[in-house]
Amino acid sequence: MDTESLVIRDVSLTYEQVPVIQNLSLALKPQELGCLLGPSGCGKSTLLRAIAGFQPLNSGEIWLDDHLLASPSHATPPESRGVGMVFQDIALFPHLSVAENIAFGLGDWPLETRQARVDELLHLIGLSGMESRYPHELSGGQQQRIALARAMAPKPKLLLLDEPFSGLDTELRGRLASEVRTILKSDGICSLLVTHDQREAFDFADRIAVIHEGHICQFDTPYQLYHEPHSPFVAHFVGPGEMVDAVVEGPRSVSSPLGVLSNDQDLAFAPGTPVNLFLRPDDLIHDDDSTYQATLVGKHFRGAHHLYEVRLDNGVVLGCFAPSHHNHAIGERIGVKLDVEHLVVFPAR
Amino acid sequence: MAIKNSTPYSSRLGRYRPNGFLMTTVLAALCVALPICVVLGFLFVGESEAWSHLVETLLARYAWNSVLLSILVALGVIAIGVPAAWMISFYRFPGRDVLSWLLLLPLAYPAYILAYTYTGVLDYAGPVLTWMRSIDSPQWLMDPILNLKSLPGAALMLSLVLYPYVYLMARAAFLDQSANLMEAAYTLGQSRWAVFRRVVIPMARPAIAAGTLLALMETLADFGTVQFFGVQTFTTGIVRTYYGFGDTTGAAQLSSLLLGFVAILVVMERLSRHRVRYYSDRLRRLNQASQYVTGVRALLLQSLCLLPVLFGFLIPTALLVTWTAFYAELQSLWQLTLNSFALAGGSSLIIVTVALMVAYANRLHPSRWLSYLTVLVGLGYALPGVVIAIGVLIPFASFDHWLSAQLAFLGVPPTLWLSGSVFALVFAYLVRFLAVANGSIFSGLSRIRPSLDQSGRLLGLSQTGVLREIHVPLMRGSVLTAVLVCFVDILKELPATLMLRPFNFDTLAIKTYELAGEERLIDAAAPSLLIVLVGLLPVIWLNRSVSKE
Repeated sequence: MDTESLVIRDVSLTYEQVPVIQNLSLALKPQELGCLLGPSGCGKSTLLRAIAGFQPLNSGEIWLDDHLLASPSHATPPESRGVGMVFQDIALFPHLSVAENIAFGLGDWPLETRQARVDELLHLIGLSGMESRYPHELSGGQQQRIALARAMAPKPKLLLLDEPFSGLDTELRGRLASEVRTILKSDGICSLLVTHDQREAFDFADRIAVIHEGHICQFDTPYQLYHEPHSPFVAHFVGPGEMVDAVVEGPRSVSSPLGVLSNDQDLAFAPGTPVNLFLRPDDLIHDDDSTYQATLVGKHFRGAHHLYEVRLDNGVVLGCFAPSHHNHAIGERIGVKLDVEHLVVFPAR
Repeated sequence: MAIKNSTPYSSRLGRYRPNGFLMTTVLAALCVALPICVVLGFLFVGESEAWSHLVETLLARYAWNSVLLSILVALGVIAIGVPAAWMISFYRFPGRDVLSWLLLLPLAYPAYILAYTYTGVLDYAGPVLTWMRSIDSPQWLMDPILNLKSLPGAALMLSLVLYPYVYLMARAAFLDQSANLMEAAYTLGQSRWAVFRRVVIPMARPAIAAGTLLALMETLADFGTVQFFGVQTFTTGIVRTYYGFGDTTGAAQLSSLLLGFVAILVVMERLSRHRVRYYSDRLRRLNQASQYVTGVRALLLQSLCLLPVLFGFLIPTALLVTWTAFYAELQSLWQLTLNSFALAGGSSLIIVTVALMVAYANRLHPSRWLSYLTVLVGLGYALPGVVIAIGVLIPFASFDHWLSAQLAFLGVPPTLWLSGSVFALVFAYLVRFLAVANGSIFSGLSRIRPSLDQSGRLLGLSQTGVLREIHVPLMRGSVLTAVLVCFVDILKELPATLMLRPFNFDTLAIKTYELAGEERLIDAAAPSLLIVLVGLLPVIWLNRSVSKE
């Protein structure tokens, strides 16, 4: 069995007397980049604050590198946990320069190593030469990278990131999430990101825990979450898609309005069971030669491709990707076919 | 019709014809500029005969005493205000909410009334020392009380009434700090004490500095306390040079020097306010980070917070109430109250009207030179009453002199047309307190966003309709606050009233001063108490508006 860095075992939390996390367990491997993904109010931020030590535990235990950080009867003070944190509001000290902010947690380091660490981090985040600037002189993205450097400076055993990109504009957000991933991977710090933005989570994490109403629905790689969701909630939360009615045909195949589909894994349902088949826009492709026709009811031009909305003859509306040059008019009948690698089926509602 | 209505009303109202709002602003700026220019103008007049004497003997003493007093008051207000703000902001204990506004109450006291009251109870024949002698208290305990009438004594009195400035600013700064900043420091391995020392205090420093500088402006402007305690500062020096030596030039030149000191404070205050803006972070407030305390530690916090209230408000008020109840002659009080209220009421209405016009001029015709004029108008609050009085007396007296000379051939006897009139008083109040009214009016008006005006117009209101339906209801509170604050400030104002009032025109503050001068401190209790009680109104008001935010 792998060694584990952060271990959360059966943790329950309340926020202002309301239970927000119930018996949640989660473990991160050393150097792993984890993510808590969930809609706002699902308790993910509260969990993060509990790991940092700003929130008492109602039950359970939190361990980091075989040290008990917190239990209902024990709480290591935040300053002794070896946990760094990047905050949603960035929280740079406005009265200190960039270099002083980064060196803030290095109080007991010898002057030279302290200086070297600051230079190293500034280089890592690509802001060398900015050390004497003040936070208000920097852009939002620069401030966030400095907040990251400040949290990384004392070499924490675990880095927590609380929606660190939510104050930034969309374009910057995605870029910064990948950048931060590269920086953290090169430093090998075990990290946990909290976000409600699925794309940010995909850009950042090795594994993502989807949290809903205080529980982890699924803890998996981004690829598996997207293509093999374990529940309708996860399926819908991590990307667009629609349910169509289908019936199980054989151990590995279902019959759908768009023909019989099969994959190379056994289904959890007996033949003849009515099920819901979950289809993402990339499962349905536009093909002029297909025997199946559907009516084009909406189109979104995305440059490299079209995202069409098509209505099947049974009334179900599905998303469908089409090549950029296949420019059809709304109302036209177009050919579509399914290209499914994994069958995602849930019990029929 | 479409064309006419599409013109924004800001450009329709003005530019092309003279306009009441702009004219008033220019006039108000001229009013503030007059005393400053008069006083500074005397720097170029050359030395009077008494000036060289003044420079040799007294100037150094005035300057030294003013500086020393300022240093002691600065230390005093910080020593009281910052810990109080810290306890209120970072701890939750029973009674915290009540104490948080009780701590503002000393603001209702003019320092001179506190000085008179404590002198009354602490003098040699007073109850405290009589009792201490009866129990054979050691001399070293009684000496500081006997020496209350001294520079440190004056500093103590001023600190006790001025610390709320620091308390208010520090409290706001503490509450403004994002809780995340403290948590960030904890996750970086800092202990509670280190967080306080390295994050909380440095970030509150500009606000603490701004509060302290406000207190110092009041200190430099103080006349009543230092005069009564026999401390020779610039203000007492100016009055003495003007009346005692009859030396106009010398008084004006001393005023210029005092203005120099004030100017330094003003510049420093502006700089620290500028930095306060960078330091406030409005995401998640500190409130959640404060710590619950019970038992003995709560009792300790309660007692420590109560101390400044006790000495700055409760004890003196209890004394004033007792003395008033037992010894006051209330008949003479009616005329004084009437005079005071009429003067303060009339003046504050005029001042607030002017402030409203200045504010609307800025809103309707924003321009660079107008904003400079508005800054100039705002400087009035820093001018000590004594300096304004000198700067008003000199030109008004020369005008009276000139007019009397012109009218002499008609057989009109020489008259003090301006200098001994209520007009001079109102003029001086306008100069000194317009900034106070401006503060409230401007902040009220800035809350009415231009989009409100615009949507009002789009929904069919005329220009006056916008004023009537949108501005009047939204501005009512700010205007009331401005009137109230001006009213109380005028009621408390001593030196300008003393120097500019018409002959035999007494107010509560003047009577208090005169009675104290005759050592009839107990008789001074009734008018003092009235001033303090009325002074409480804006303090309560202020606290309400602070806590609402």
